[in-house]
Amino acid sequence: MQKITRRNSLQCTALAGGALALAGCERSISLATRRLGQDIPGEVFVAESDDIDDIHHLLNRAAYGPWPGDISRVKSIGGSAWLDEQLRPESINDLACELRARRFESVFVKPGNAYEFKESVLREELSRHTLLRAIYSRKQLFEVMVGFWTDHLNIDLGKGDCIYFKPWDDLHVVRKHALGNFRDLIGASAKSSAMLVYLDGKENRKRKGTDDIPNENYARELMELHTMGVHGGYTQKDVTEAARCLTGWTIRPKKAFLDRGMVYFKPSHHDEGEKTILGKTIPPRKGKDGAADLDDLIDVLCRHPSTADYISTKLCRRFVGYQPPETLVARVAADFTESKGDIKTVLRTILSSDEFSQSKGQRFKRPFRYIVSTLRALGADTQAHKPLIEYINRLGQPLFSYPTPDGYPEDKMPWMGTLLWRWNFAFGAVNHEIPDVRIRLKKLGAAIGAPDEGTVAPEKMVAYLLGREATKNEMAAIADYQKQMKKAEKKADGQSKQRDELLAVLLASPAFQRC
Amino acid sequence: MCGAVVAERQPSHTLVCLFLRGGADTLNMFVPYADDEYYRQRPTIGIAGPGKAGSDSALDLDGRYGLNPRMKQLFPAFDEGRLAVVQGVGSDNPSGSHFECQDQMEHGEDYGKTVGGGWLGRHLRSHLGSRATSLSAIAIGSTVPESLRGVPAASVLKSLEDLELKSRAPQPEAVAQILSRLYADDATILGRQGCETVQLLKRVREIRERKYIPEDATEYPDNNLAQGLKEVARLIKANVGLEVACIDYGGWDTHFFQGALSSFHGKKVEILANALAAFDRDLKTHRDRVTTVVMTEFGRRLYENASLGTDHGRGFSMMVLGGRVRGGMVHGPWPVVKNETSEGPGGLHISYDYRSVLGEILEGVSENADLDRVFPSVSLGRLGLIA
Repeated sequence: MQKITRRNSLQCTALAGGALALAGCERSISLATRRLGQDIPGEVFVAESDDIDDIHHLLNRAAYGPWPGDISRVKSIGGSAWLDEQLRPESINDLACELRARRFESVFVKPGNAYEFKESVLREELSRHTLLRAIYSRKQLFEVMVGFWTDHLNIDLGKGDCIYFKPWDDLHVVRKHALGNFRDLIGASAKSSAMLVYLDGKENRKRKGTDDIPNENYARELMELHTMGVHGGYTQKDVTEAARCLTGWTIRPKKAFLDRGMVYFKPSHHDEGEKTILGKTIPPRKGKDGAADLDDLIDVLCRHPSTADYISTKLCRRFVGYQPPETLVARVAADFTESKGDIKTVLRTILSSDEFSQSKGQRFKRPFRYIVSTLRALGADTQAHKPLIEYINRLGQPLFSYPTPDGYPEDKMPWMGTLLWRWNFAFGAVNHEIPDVRIRLKKLGAAIGAPDEGTVAPEKMVAYLLGREATKNEMAAIADYQKQMKKAEKKADGQSKQRDELLAVLLASPAFQRC
Repeated sequence: MCGAVVAERQPSHTLVCLFLRGGADTLNMFVPYADDEYYRQRPTIGIAGPGKAGSDSALDLDGRYGLNPRMKQLFPAFDEGRLAVVQGVGSDNPSGSHFECQDQMEHGEDYGKTVGGGWLGRHLRSHLGSRATSLSAIAIGSTVPESLRGVPAASVLKSLEDLELKSRAPQPEAVAQILSRLYADDATILGRQGCETVQLLKRVREIRERKYIPEDATEYPDNNLAQGLKEVARLIKANVGLEVACIDYGGWDTHFFQGALSSFHGKKVEILANALAAFDRDLKTHRDRVTTVVMTEFGRRLYENASLGTDHGRGFSMMVLGGRVRGGMVHGPWPVVKNETSEGPGGLHISYDYRSVLGEILEGVSENADLDRVFPSVSLGRLGLIA
C-alpha cells in the first residue's frame, strides 16, 4: 500500500483553502496521475476478428472494462499471467488511483468518529471513493469483487445509523476480505456495526430472567442470503437456533466514552443454553465464553455444502451468465469446498474455464458497470463529483442504497428501462457536456488510428470499443449515418464542424451494453 | 428497422403525487366554519364562513366545511364530483421534524421502522417490474424524490425539453435512425427496449415541436407548479406509458404571519388551486386516466401562535382529484378535539393512516395486485374514494 499520498493530499488541501484552489489541487492530481501511467498511450489494440477478442472479454468481466492500452499489455504477458497478478493485489502499484481515491477523510474513520461528519458528506465521499476506485484502480479484479460482496452483504445507508458505520464496513469487512476467505468475510460481517444495525442484530438479545424472544432478522438473512441460500435446506427451527447463537452482540452507544459505534459482546444479553443447528450441537456457554457461539455458527454455515453451491452459483452468474452451466457450478463448488472457501481459488476456476471463454457478450451491463466501462474506454479524467453520481442515481443504481438485503438484482430485466439515460450519458461525455468528466478525443483517436488530422475510420472505432470487427449491418448503418451527417453539415454552410458523435452512438449501441 | 417490433403503448393510468413541503396548513384550505372552536383558536387568521364576509367568505362545501375563497377555481372540481378531501390524515411520527416526517411518508413506513425504498418505487417495481421504461416514472424538478427510491427507472425533468437524446448533431434524425437500426438488429429483449426507447423519444419530440394547446382554452399560470403540471399533462397525452409523476410545491412552513387571505398563505393556496384547476381542465377528455393526490408531511396546529402563524401539527387533509374519484365529499370525522389531543397541543386528530388512503387509491386506479409489498401490514382504507 502506498502510504505517502494521504498526507500529501491533505497538505495540498490545507494549503489550498478555497474551492477554486481545491479545483486546482484536483488539476494537479489529474496531471500527476497521468505521469504515473494513467494516460492514453500512443497506440491501442484494435480487434481484427469477428469474434470478440479473448482479452477484451476477460477485461469486461474480471475488470470494469479495458482502459486504453490495457489489452495490449495483457496480451504481452498473457491472460493467465494477468489473472495471477490480479490475484496478488498487494503486488500491484496503484499509486495513481490512491492519489485520487485517498482524499476522502470520512471514508477512513471509525464509526465513533463518523458521527462527526454530516450524513450528506459521508454518503458523497463513500460514493465518490467507490466510483473512483472502480474507474482507476489497477487492482481491477479486486474492485469487481468489492462490488460483488457489497451487493451480497447489502447495507442501505438510509437505515438508522448505517450511514455512520458503512465506511468502516466497506474497508474492514468488504475490502479486507474481498479476495480472501469466505468464512472470514462472513465472520467480519457478523461483527460489523453496519450489519448489526441493518439487519437488527443489535436488537437480538435474551436477557437473563426475561422471556425475550431473539430477533431473527439477521439470522435468517445470514442463512438465506449470505451463506446457504433460500433452498439451502435449513428449517425455521434452525433460524431460531441461529438467532439464539447470535444474541448478545450489540453496539456501543453514541454516548459511550470509548469505542462508540463499535461492536462488542454483552454476556448478560446472551442466551447461554445449548443450541442445535443443522444437526450440530453447540454446547452451553457461560459469560464471556458465549461469544464463541457466533464463530461456531458461522463455521457450521460456511462449511455446509449448500453454501458452496449457493456462493458458486452466484459467482458464476456474475462472471459467466444468468443460467450458468451446471457442470461449471459443480466444479466451482467442489473447489470452494476443497479450498475451504478461498475466493481466489474459485475465481481462478471460473475465469480459466471454457464455459467462461464461451460466454462472450452474453451479459448485460448494469448501470454502474456501464458508466465505469464507458469512462475507462474513453480514458476519461474525473473526480467523481455530483454530476457523475447523479447519472448513476438516475440509472437506478445509487450506491449503497438498495432497499432490501438481497442487494441490486443480478438479472438483466430490472435494468432494461434505463436506456435513455445511458445514451444521454454517452452523448454527454463525448460532447464534453458532463461537468467534471474530461475526455481527450484527439489523443484517443490517434491511439485508435486516425490518419494525421483526420477522423478515426469507423470500423476501427467499432473494433476498439466492442473488441470485435463491425458487422455488415453495423457498417451499413454507420455509412448512412455519416452520409446524413455530411449532408447536414453542408446545409449549415459548413459552419458547424461535423459533430462526430459516432463514438457516442457506439457507446449507446446494444453491443456496448453487453459484456 | 424498428417499426414492426414495437407495439403502441396502451394508455396507462397516471398517478400524480403533489407534495406540499413544509407542513401545509390545510385547515385554512378546507375551513371548518361550522365549529366555533376554529374561530376561537384563530381569531386573526380564521376565515369567515359562507356569507359572513362577502367575497372573503369560505365557499360552502358540505355544510360543515368551506373552501378558502382564494381557492375558488377548484370549486367546480368539487362541485362536479371530481375532488374529494380526506380530513384527519397523518402518520405516527411525533417528531414534528420536516425532514423525518417527509422521509417517513415518502418511504411509506411506520415511525422508526424501515421498509426499504419509497412507496412509489415499491409500487412500480412490483407492478411493472421489467416492463418499466425511462418514462414510467417522472419527477418534475432536479432530483429523484425519496418516494421513488427503488424504482426500476425514472426520469427527472423540468420540462419535456429535457426528455431528448442529448445529441448535438445538426441532424438528430440521423442519430435516432442509426440507434434504431442497431437495436432492431438485436434479436433479444434489449433490441426491443432500444427500439421502444427511440419510439418514445420520437413521440416526445413530436409533442415538443408542436406548440402545445391545452384543452378547453385552459391557461396555465406562469409559475413553476402550474408549468410543471402542464408538462405532466403533455406527457400523459403523449401516451408514453407514464404511470407515476411526482411534483413538489414547497414553502408551506408558515410559523410567522401566515395571514388569513391576503398574506402569503393566501397567495400560496391560490397558486395551488389555480394550478390544479388548470391541470384538471386541460385533461378534460383524459380525466379518467389521471388521479392526483395532494399531501403534506403534517398539518399545522389549530391555534394561531403569537406571531399570527401556526406551528407544526399532525393531522392534515389530503386532496384526491380525478375522473375516477368519488368527489364532492369531505371524508372523515371532525378532527378537532376540544381540550387535549393525543397528537400534541393543537394537533389535529388523525383518523386515517396516510398509507391506508394511498393504498386505497393505488388499489382503485392501478392494477397492482401486490399492494402488501407497497405498504406491508397496513389495512387499506374503505372510504370509497375511487369509483
